[in-house]
Parts: sequence; C-alpha cells; structure tokens
Amino acid sequence: MAAAGPSVFLLMVNGQVESAQFPEYDDLYCKYCFVYGQDWAPTAGLEEGISQITSKSQDVRQALVWNFPIDVTFKSTNPYGWPQIVLSVYGPDVFGNDVVRGYGAVHVPFSPGRHKRTIPMFVPESTSKLQKFTSWFMGRRPEYTDPKVVAQGEGREVTRVRSQGFVTLLFNVVTKDMRKLGYDTGPPDTQGVLGPSPPPGLPR
Amino acid sequence: MAEVHVIGQILGATGFSESSLFCKWGVHTGAAWKLLSGVREGQTQVDTPQVGDMAYWSHPIDLHFATKGLQGWPRLHLQVWSQDSFGRCQLAGYGFCHVPSSPGTHQLDCPTWRPLGSWREQLARAFVGGGPQLLHGDAIYSGADRYRLHTAAGGTVHLELGLLLRHFDRYGVEC
Repeated sequence: MAAAGPSVFLLMVNGQVESAQFPEYDDLYCKYCFVYGQDWAPTAGLEEGISQITSKSQDVRQALVWNFPIDVTFKSTNPYGWPQIVLSVYGPDVFGNDVVRGYGAVHVPFSPGRHKRTIPMFVPESTSKLQKFTSWFMGRRPEYTDPKVVAQGEGREVTRVRSQGFVTLLFNVVTKDMRKLGYDTGPPDTQGVLGPSPPPGLPR
Repeated sequence: MAEVHVIGQILGATGFSESSLFCKWGVHTGAAWKLLSGVREGQTQVDTPQVGDMAYWSHPIDLHFATKGLQGWPRLHLQVWSQDSFGRCQLAGYGFCHVPSSPGTHQLDCPTWRPLGSWREQLARAFVGGGPQLLHGDAIYSGADRYRLHTAAGGTVHLELGLLLRHFDRYGVEC
C-alpha cells in the first residue's frame, strides 16, 4: 500500500484591506478578525489587526485608504467552516465619541489566485425613533458585543440593519494539498484583479 | 461517497419597490443527498439601504453535502419579504436557483415573482398591504402545480456561491 497521503490541507491568504467608501463619514479606522469552523486552526500570521485612522482625501475622489496588510495561514481537515474575514469600521461622531460605522464579512476566496472583493458595511439599527435619538445624543450606538456574530447566519432574523458604505479588499490565495485530498476548487482565477463582476449597485 | 461544499453568501437584492427587505432561504435536495454540516434554512437580517437602492444582507451560507447520486442536485429557494415601520411583513417575491454544478466561485442573479390575486386583492394590496401567498413552499422550486398560478415579477436576489467538489472524478463525473 502506498504511503499515507496528507490528511491536512493548508490555506495561505495574504492581501490588504485596501480602501473604503462611506459618503457620510470621515476619520475612520477598521479592525479585522477571522472567523472559522472547528476543524480549522491558524498556523502562521496574524488573526486580527487594527488599522490606522484615515481621512478623506482633499481631491475629487474623496477616497478613504488604509492599505492595511493581511497575512495568515490556516490548516484544516474539512472545508466546512471556511474562514471568513470580519471587518468593523469605527469613526468619531459629532460629539467626539468612537462609534461603529459598519460591520461586514466575506469568505476568503478558495480558488488560488488574486481576488478583489468589495463588501457592503452595515450597522444595527434601533427600531424606535426615540431610541435612535437618545443613542445619537449619548454617543452609544447599537453595536454587536462580539463582531464575530456578523459571520454567522443564525440569530440574524431579529436584527434590523442599515447598510451605509463599502470596503474593498484584495486577496491572494494559495492552497496546498487540496487536490491530493480529492478536492476540486475550480479554475484558478486567471482574470487577476478583475474577478467576477460585482452585482449592480456596487461601486466599481 | 462524493462530497459537495457550498460556501458563499446571499449578497442582497435589487429591483424591489419596497426598501426594508429580508430573505428567508432554504435548500432542498433529492433523496440521494445527505447534509453533513451546516444549516439547511435560515432568515437574513432586515436591511434598509442608505446608499443606493440595493439591500445588502451578506448572509453566509456554508453547507457540506455527501451524495450517492446526481439526481436532486441542491436547489436554493428564497422568499423575499419587506418589513414596514410598524413591523408588518409583506411578501415581495419568491425565487429559486440551482446551486451551481461546476467548481469555483459563481455570481448568481435569481429572479423573483409574486402571486397576483384577483383585481380586488391587487387593489387591497396597493392600499392596505398584504396579498396572496403560497400555502405550500414547495411550489417555489417544483414545477408541479405552477399552471394554476398567475404571477408578476419582483426584483432580483444576488448571490455569490462557491462550490468545492470532492471525489467526483473517482466516479467518472465530469463537471
């Protein structure tokens, strides 16, 4: 019998949190973290990070740029629980308090190659107008106690949110031993940065 | 046994006349398929977009199936509802799409429809809200009794689904 094949495959992700578009807000910073299933474990790199505070550029683009590096490697025995990156963006409100401006999450792409993803960012919203006013006034907006909730599907049916911005991420993905274990991840992304086109409504 | 992983998101919806939307989704498979991990159905959050007119849900889908046959390839069925400021929910559309069958990442646009009633019911819907709904959800993804329905188009639901196949080449399946 031939020598036993690998039982574990590796996923290496690097890239950056490139920029954001929030038409109404300025002076933002973002935090990222990875959420993954029980069969996954990070083996190298950083699982979380906090970026710098960025302001909108003075020119006509009004760009918010972080250019914040991401570099992590995971090992796993099972693609279930594929890692997702969860982003939380924070900024100051009128009174100077740090409030959340958006949460978003996306799965790390699984075909090897270069991928660009623009993800929408949303904030939880209070239902009553009085609560919206008091939270604006006191600087304590509704936020998630654990941002990792954004990566889960369960429990979402009771939340109301408002989507108010986008963040663009770039990923380079390399996998090891997935094919030896019998997995077919499809064609590597030969289009480079121009991945599948985003649905209408997302800024290009 | 061959295995299929469906990993992706229900991104959001465009083209609906109402703005605060949520989606109830479910996956239906044939008898040869078995769900090993993941939840088979769920409901997204209610989103009110500030920027543009697309409602964004970013609802993660992570399913792991084992299968003994190709029949009954998984189908994702969706119901889009709108919620008004009083908390009442109104049906905005039904839709379904098959999970893609080739490995890799796919962008899917799922069109939706909603049942029209008689002219009285349409008038009532315009003023008061409500409107006819399907009694049995399986009419969304099966063609059996569709000839009885008269429907109008709703908006489009956008999904990004990635498919990972395992051991399909062992059984000689090409996809």
